[in-house]
Amino acid sequence: MKNVTLALAFVSLLAGPAFAAQKKASPPPPKPRLDPNKPEDVLAMERKVNCSTEDGKEALYWFAGNVYSRTPGEKDRLLFGVHGFNFRTCRTFSDPKRGPGYRSVSREMLIYTDKDSGEVIKKWKNPWTGEEVDVLDVANDPVSMREPTYAYAADGVPRTFRSEVKDGWALDGGGAARLFYTNPLGGDYQEYVGGTYHAMEFGTQMARMDDLTDPNTTFVKDRVLTWVRVSKWLPWMKMGSRIGAVVFNTAGLRLDSFDDLPAVVKAEVKANWPVWQSAPPPDDARPSMTSWDQFKRWKADKK
Amino acid sequence: MRHSITFLLAVGLAATTLAAPQAKGRKAPATPPPAPPIDLSKPEGVVAANRKMACSLEDGKAVVFWWKGSAYSRVPGERDRALFNVEGMNIRQCGTVKDPQRGDGYRLVSREILLFLDPETGKPLEKWKNPWTGKENEVVHVANDPVNGPPSFPIGRDGAPVKWRGNIMKGRLWTTGEAPLFYKNALGGEYQDYVGGEYHAMEMLTMFGYLKDVLDASQKEAHDLTIAWARTSDWLPWMEMGDRVGMMIYSTVGKRLANANDLSPLLKDEIAKNYPAYAAPPPLDDARPNETSWTYFKKKIDAKRKEDAK
Repeated sequence: MKNVTLALAFVSLLAGPAFAAQKKASPPPPKPRLDPNKPEDVLAMERKVNCSTEDGKEALYWFAGNVYSRTPGEKDRLLFGVHGFNFRTCRTFSDPKRGPGYRSVSREMLIYTDKDSGEVIKKWKNPWTGEEVDVLDVANDPVSMREPTYAYAADGVPRTFRSEVKDGWALDGGGAARLFYTNPLGGDYQEYVGGTYHAMEFGTQMARMDDLTDPNTTFVKDRVLTWVRVSKWLPWMKMGSRIGAVVFNTAGLRLDSFDDLPAVVKAEVKANWPVWQSAPPPDDARPSMTSWDQFKRWKADKK
Repeated sequence: MRHSITFLLAVGLAATTLAAPQAKGRKAPATPPPAPPIDLSKPEGVVAANRKMACSLEDGKAVVFWWKGSAYSRVPGERDRALFNVEGMNIRQCGTVKDPQRGDGYRLVSREILLFLDPETGKPLEKWKNPWTGKENEVVHVANDPVNGPPSFPIGRDGAPVKWRGNIMKGRLWTTGEAPLFYKNALGGEYQDYVGGEYHAMEMLTMFGYLKDVLDASQKEAHDLTIAWARTSDWLPWMEMGDRVGMMIYSTVGKRLANANDLSPLLKDEIAKNYPAYAAPPPLDDARPNETSWTYFKKKIDAKRKEDAK
């Protein structure tokens, strides 16, 4: 459960409808469009998508969908619904050699809902073990870039625009983050006895090139996304070594503000996670938190 | 309706169905009044919206979807492997179907291709060295003809009016759905309940559009549709993995195209060379049973066995 990591999935691009250009006294010459062949512009486009070119302006992405089991010998079962969101903001950096840069900081959350009623669930009856288990929401604060990212990498390699462009659309996706590493909840001999963390996450993001390259907007407003994850059972399901996987399938979009979130999400956040109503401050220097940290804290609290 | 790699099914699922015969504007000699917008609170409106997204309100209009991405393995105990790049297309058309009980609906007929590409060269693979068995396998690309849907009507099979099941927010509209598939495998025997070998997969499809476009009754098609298709499934039969534990995971992104001419050079070439029938959808009255990668592969194996027996 390394982060059900939205942040990771979202590092990509998008664009939003025109935002009123600031009016200056004399008519300024029209700005040239951002150029996908210029590393500085690629950075700006990415920033418009991830957050905003304006420091401290918040970006909110939300998505929702379903979680299924997959285990050999039976039809995949719908286990529960899921809502996720990520609240992010960016701060400008610059480097004499590497050009303009930014660092993003965010908070992210994943909550589970009853497959029939759509209400948030805190307990779940495991149909394989028969045990009723406590649900562990994902609530990571912060999920931030370790270092700022720049138009040019440390070795001088320029940033490139990687989206697939088709009919004026920038399409991202089609790949995956393949995660396979020593499980923080496992012991010291995982290569001998198993228990390794094993998951795959992939997303798609879609935006219009017009929005992305618009020099007069600070962020891309119209951006949609999907997020899929295939992993071992979630630790809180208490499935131990049982064979099988969970499959998350979700879709969503960029929202304007916390108020745009579905009522069920807003109510849960206000009641139990009030800090998640905004992004962290742009100069937040805390190291990122992962779901592993969270799980251990949760287990410790229960003792 | 059993498919494999079947984009269509997922579309059908997310987008329930049917064609509302849209007010074919009565032609008033003066300025015709604008057609009232499609109403998603009415079953006819749901059918019309779904039909505009899936194909066109106009009978026999060919519509093309395209997508590309990657196919991975999942085997317990090892990092997922990137096996192939994939690129696919579906060419379809819809025809109006009328039912005395269920109202005016539509049926979608299509052909579908998914190519397995060398991740290094991007070219379609002919042979593939299976890293687990060490065997070299002949690659069988997906070429399913037909992949047709059952007709969709304002009144569902259960007699209840169909409801809009998509999402609408911030002027965007999207449908997302999963089709968990688990059924008797065409390549399996008569006792699968006892010995296993069932067909086991899940299709996931999301399609994003704009509310304004979809509801505009004066437009017969919804454009600016982007899609994400994902799939989990057992090994492909041609990989000859038998009972080995593991599965495939597909991750793709794509969109609706203006026409088949907008397909990538790769797909256009392949269609011209190897799949000429796929330049057009099947006829509207196509009554053939659906083809899946599994039924297609069975035909190939059976033909080869016959040949070998001679």
